[in-house]
Amino acid sequence: MSNVAERIKKVVAHVLKVDPGRITEDARFVEDLGAESIQSVELVAAFEEEFDIEMDEEAALSVKTVGKAKEFISALL
Amino acid sequence: MEKPLEMEQIRTLEDRDCTSSDWSKVYVAEPFDPTRFRDVSFDGKVRIGDLSGMVCDMAGLEKPCGIFHASLMDVTIGNHVRIHNVGVQISRYDIADGVCIENIGTMQTLPGATFGNGVEVRVLNEAGGREIILFNELTSQTAYLMCLHRYRPKMIEHLTSMIREYVESMRNDRGQVGTGATICATPEITNVNIGARVVVNGVNRLVNGTILSEPEVVTTIGAGVVAKNFIVGEGSTITDGVILDRVFVGQGCEIGKQFSAENSLFFANCEAFHGEAVSIFAGPYTVTHHKSTLLIAGLFSFYNAGSGTNQSNHMYKLGPCHEGKVMRGSKTGSFAYMMWPCVVGPFSVVLGKHTSTFDTGDYPFSHLEARPDGKCNLLPGLHLTTVGTVRDGIKWPKRDRRKGKKKRDLITFDVFSPYVVGKMIKAGDTLGELLEKTDKNIQEVSVGGAIVRRLLLRTARKYYRNGIEMYLLDKIVQRIEKALDSKNTKPESFFQSDPHAVYSNEWIDLGGLLMAQDRLFTLQDEIANGTIRTIEELSRAIQAIHASYAPDEWIWIRAACLKVFGIDLDRATKQDMVGILENLAKIKSKFLNLVIADAEKEFGEFSHCGFGFDGSSGEAMEDFRRVRGTYEDHFFVQEMKRQVQDVQKHIETLLTRLNECDL
Repeated sequence: MSNVAERIKKVVAHVLKVDPGRITEDARFVEDLGAESIQSVELVAAFEEEFDIEMDEEAALSVKTVGKAKEFISALL
Repeated sequence: MEKPLEMEQIRTLEDRDCTSSDWSKVYVAEPFDPTRFRDVSFDGKVRIGDLSGMVCDMAGLEKPCGIFHASLMDVTIGNHVRIHNVGVQISRYDIADGVCIENIGTMQTLPGATFGNGVEVRVLNEAGGREIILFNELTSQTAYLMCLHRYRPKMIEHLTSMIREYVESMRNDRGQVGTGATICATPEITNVNIGARVVVNGVNRLVNGTILSEPEVVTTIGAGVVAKNFIVGEGSTITDGVILDRVFVGQGCEIGKQFSAENSLFFANCEAFHGEAVSIFAGPYTVTHHKSTLLIAGLFSFYNAGSGTNQSNHMYKLGPCHEGKVMRGSKTGSFAYMMWPCVVGPFSVVLGKHTSTFDTGDYPFSHLEARPDGKCNLLPGLHLTTVGTVRDGIKWPKRDRRKGKKKRDLITFDVFSPYVVGKMIKAGDTLGELLEKTDKNIQEVSVGGAIVRRLLLRTARKYYRNGIEMYLLDKIVQRIEKALDSKNTKPESFFQSDPHAVYSNEWIDLGGLLMAQDRLFTLQDEIANGTIRTIEELSRAIQAIHASYAPDEWIWIRAACLKVFGIDLDRATKQDMVGILENLAKIKSKFLNLVIADAEKEFGEFSHCGFGFDGSSGEAMEDFRRVRGTYEDHFFVQEMKRQVQDVQKHIETLLTRLNECDL
């Protein structure tokens, strides 16, 4: 699981171009990490590629924090 | 019936300061009331109707009919007309009943006038080559053929000849003012036909034009307008310092607030304020509201220009010869700039300063954002589920201001259609191929000169797939419902197509009218080979295409269904239909929920920025709630949520009915 967390952190840091230190479990993608509309789309695409998964857009709407992303992705693996 | 004046009547008129170079050419209706004349100079042949009674002026005040302080030359005046204070003269006009003309300068028709008909307008390509000939019956469809299909020279030749014939039929040495028109405070009107109930008030100058109208639809030309070489359609309003030269304004348009336009066409329901247009083809619902917005050398429709939107058509090489096409439903953000040539696909959003050429015509609902180097970053399909797209689709038909009997431009309002969904299918295939071919180490790929992040190829393809499926399933379910309503229990007839329907894989947006490409080819051939010989015949042919939209759409859907789902509807079983219904319930709900989620962003934390000025953070929330309302209470959100519930209920009902049906 920690591997998943590390990979999520790497993807988020790369797509949103933020300091990995700011990417905590509680960090909200939009409000705390500054994900704009297009970046949110890129983030989902990057998660899909990184983990070789398909994230349903509607279901992915509930993923608002890094921690939630970890739960969501882990459930798909 | 007018009669020549009797001697006693002439003496009475002269006592009232009236003069004539030849009284024998002045005819008046009985009963003749000389008190209805004062200080009138008659020249040439003048015929005057019954001037008894009252007529309403510009402000709606009732005033006595009659002719006061005016010079008339070769004029026919109907019954119950008021003409008051003509500074120079009215010459060679036929003025119908109930007209009120006050405080004007010159109103004249010069020999051989065509009233704006026949004026050539250099549309789309400012350097020329796509000229449109103005005429009263010009439609968005005719103009599109004339402007865009120059590669069919025989068709253009015949079209030109038909229009020229029409123009000749308009040629007249006398102008017309229609019944009930009011004309006030206008220094110059030369060679302008003015339709019934038209209002011309405080206009600076009108030269060589026609103002069309219908009895129940008022067309208004207002304060400070200068218009030369123009035709204005029924129900339009042009006011407040607008400057027009070589311009066609269609039905239900609003142009005002010092907007200026030259060599441009505005079709049904366009709105243009403050800015400038040069050589544009503004198809139906083209809207520009802000200062510093220049629309130049472009094709637009269902378009909204952000403030400061601008394009260049001039590379300082061979002149202003570049042109751009912004397909229906698109928007440009504030200060969006495009260096022509470019093609923007339908329902797309363009942001930033684009200094490189791109063609995203086959990528509907796209997001086009300029990079710092001026190249275009493209995210295909992003705007399929944005609130703005859905709102636009709802609002356009509601905002049709054409209230008369005759709607000249034929418009297909549907957001999803074979035209757009066909492009989505093509785009999805291309994106899929790119996805397969592109190495994972490659960050970006080029699509039509725009750049797409490789990572997003799959996302974009998914967007399109959802949109395609929703459209097709929706249409198929409509057929199932129709069959169930008609108690049809023969599954093979559920999905039958009309024997007269025309199938084309490709669809065309002909100036707002969507059609199968083969319909266009037939139309072009019929014009080129002389089967269609007059403007009336052309109009009827285009109306027939408009009427064929639904059957042509259905035959296209049947073919698309086979391609996309692998389902041959002729062989669809009850079980297939159940599957289709269940899938639609899922996919439509998902679509609506994504739209709702997009709306929710408008209520997010960042949207509170700037609220609650001088107060606490709690007060910021309260300020936001009182000004913007809450997400839960917003009418659009509620409407979308209601639709989610309705879809589920509706599908459940249909499933029950289908299951009960003995197929």
